[in-house]
Amino acid sequence: MKAKPGELILSLAVLGLGISAAVGTSRLPSAGGYARIGPDLAPAVIAGGLILLGLWLLYETFSGGWRNAANDDATARGEHRFTPSAFIWVSAGLFAQVVLIHRAGFVLAQAALFACVARGFGSAKLARDFAIGLVLGLSVFFFFVKFLNVNLPAGWLKPILGGAGI
Amino acid sequence: MHGFSISLTPLNLLWGFIGTILGTFIGVLPGVGPALTVAMLLPLTVKLDPTGALIMFAGIYYGAMYGGSTTTILLNTPGESASIATALEGNMMAKNGRAGPALATCAIGSFVAGTIATILVTLLAPVVVEIALKFGPAEYFALMVFAFTTVAAVIGSSTVRGLTSLFLGLLLGIVGIDSQTAQSRFAFGVPELLDGIDVVVLAVGLFAVGEALYVGAYASRLEEKMEQIKGGLWMSKEDWKRSWPAWLRATAIGFPFGSIPAGGAEIPTFLSYAVEKRLTKHPEEFGHGAIEGVAGPEAANNASVTGALVPLLTLGIPTSATAAVLLSAFQNYGISPGPMLFQMQPDLVWGLLASLYIGNVLLLILNLPLVGMWVKVLTIPQPLLYAGILVFATLGAYSLHQSVVDLIMLYVFGLLGFAMRRWDIPVAPAIIGLILGPLAETQARRALAISQGDPSVFFTHPISASILALSFLLLILPAIVKMARLR
Repeated sequence: MKAKPGELILSLAVLGLGISAAVGTSRLPSAGGYARIGPDLAPAVIAGGLILLGLWLLYETFSGGWRNAANDDATARGEHRFTPSAFIWVSAGLFAQVVLIHRAGFVLAQAALFACVARGFGSAKLARDFAIGLVLGLSVFFFFVKFLNVNLPAGWLKPILGGAGI
Repeated sequence: MHGFSISLTPLNLLWGFIGTILGTFIGVLPGVGPALTVAMLLPLTVKLDPTGALIMFAGIYYGAMYGGSTTTILLNTPGESASIATALEGNMMAKNGRAGPALATCAIGSFVAGTIATILVTLLAPVVVEIALKFGPAEYFALMVFAFTTVAAVIGSSTVRGLTSLFLGLLLGIVGIDSQTAQSRFAFGVPELLDGIDVVVLAVGLFAVGEALYVGAYASRLEEKMEQIKGGLWMSKEDWKRSWPAWLRATAIGFPFGSIPAGGAEIPTFLSYAVEKRLTKHPEEFGHGAIEGVAGPEAANNASVTGALVPLLTLGIPTSATAAVLLSAFQNYGISPGPMLFQMQPDLVWGLLASLYIGNVLLLILNLPLVGMWVKVLTIPQPLLYAGILVFATLGAYSLHQSVVDLIMLYVFGLLGFAMRRWDIPVAPAIIGLILGPLAETQARRALAISQGDPSVFFTHPISASILALSFLLLILPAIVKMARLR
């Protein structure tokens, strides 16, 4: 039986992670204290474990597929086929947040995230979603800054938000 | 009794009240389980004193679980594996127009099971503390290995995938500065990584971001059918008669599973379902909405989750993803659960236990009247719902350190969570591995330092040796059973 690409990639990823961890471990100093138990002991055990598990997963991949795994047919799982646009929009929203939060500030970053995720889940009203995100971001901002005394970046909205935030 | 005098101040009651409402509100949202709820609401407590924060957590914890069962019954979308058994009969009852009694038996059953389980925790914890005080590092290490084995290998559909998840968590736990030698490990020169990876970031990434990516990609265009609550919430005399034995039996099943580090409320809920199905006088109703089938699993879930506080508080060992997030909340306050906690900060422990009783009562008086409001939460359209979940979830992770690195990690863990969900790799072992791994490493190194590097210390101490042997047995037992069957 042919190996499934997803399972093959994940198995190799686990194996690769184990090997990289082993390489990283070999660069750590081993002599620690008089008991010869250094900071490299646990990483070595974990790296070894990951390598073994990667090999085990590979074995399952090539001997009939992973055991008791989820059905590969999305409709058989009661779901629809993979929708790339949803995946991309949600990712885009999170990227926008990372880029914006320390420049444009917390409120705008959360509004952008909100609009992108809603778009990814099939909402067609981008402007309305952005507005909802803005209101949500603003209320959270004031609740955190004024009530909880947790500072959040004000960014571009600093002139409007006044002294609040950082 | 002293505990009540601490937690029953008006301000602390207010925090408990707010915690219960928020916990239920977030817990009701489909796709948000208790672990994520606690992780998301963690930043709200940063400015509270420890006692107030813990009381709020008790409310959040119980609220999140009850909120989850409301969603399970009305939408038939179990937010976590422990709710699957509730969904079986609960959603059928709702389809037959009996959503009210189903929700009521959940609420009252949770209250009964939660209260009895809290009494048992109060009685049992000091006994466990007595024993735990005699434990050395080797015994602790063995106990943690046992906890690892049960959460990773015994529960779930595949031992190898459970262990893979656990080792991923253990690897992430290594990142940062080694507490004993100040050596930086796997931090790649990124200063933000030196403090290690926060459990909240991992939990929010795997649960919230991963879930949003997954549901968006595979389930965003599906029609969801919500059952309406027709008629009253009240249970008939017959309902009561059939519910209360189920609650009590389920408590007896759930509590032991939670209190030994055997991980997860999944097994006891299914066990309780099976027991009720066997004992019922109305077997024909099972599969069509039998009230015992809701009352039992729901009570078992609550009893087991409460029971999990025994290992968490007395040994510092979390046995579920939710307990792992709670442990990280404790650590944020500089509280390290374990036998010493009962001696050093008795006020805090008994205050927390008292607030569990109060949390249970609050839940009961709040939730039945407010159920109409929770149902409205469920009618939020899916795009806005998930957009909102991500706004609040990323807020929870970001406000910890105000760090963009945390947000980037959030996305990486989100991709990981997506893959884990798609290829059926359990998430909880990774979260438990992340928080428990470094603790286990410390204990192992202490044990080895005492024995001057002789690894036989784990096998010559009788307690440590027997726990390790038991863990090993649990690990290989499924394989042996399988081989025996093949012959």
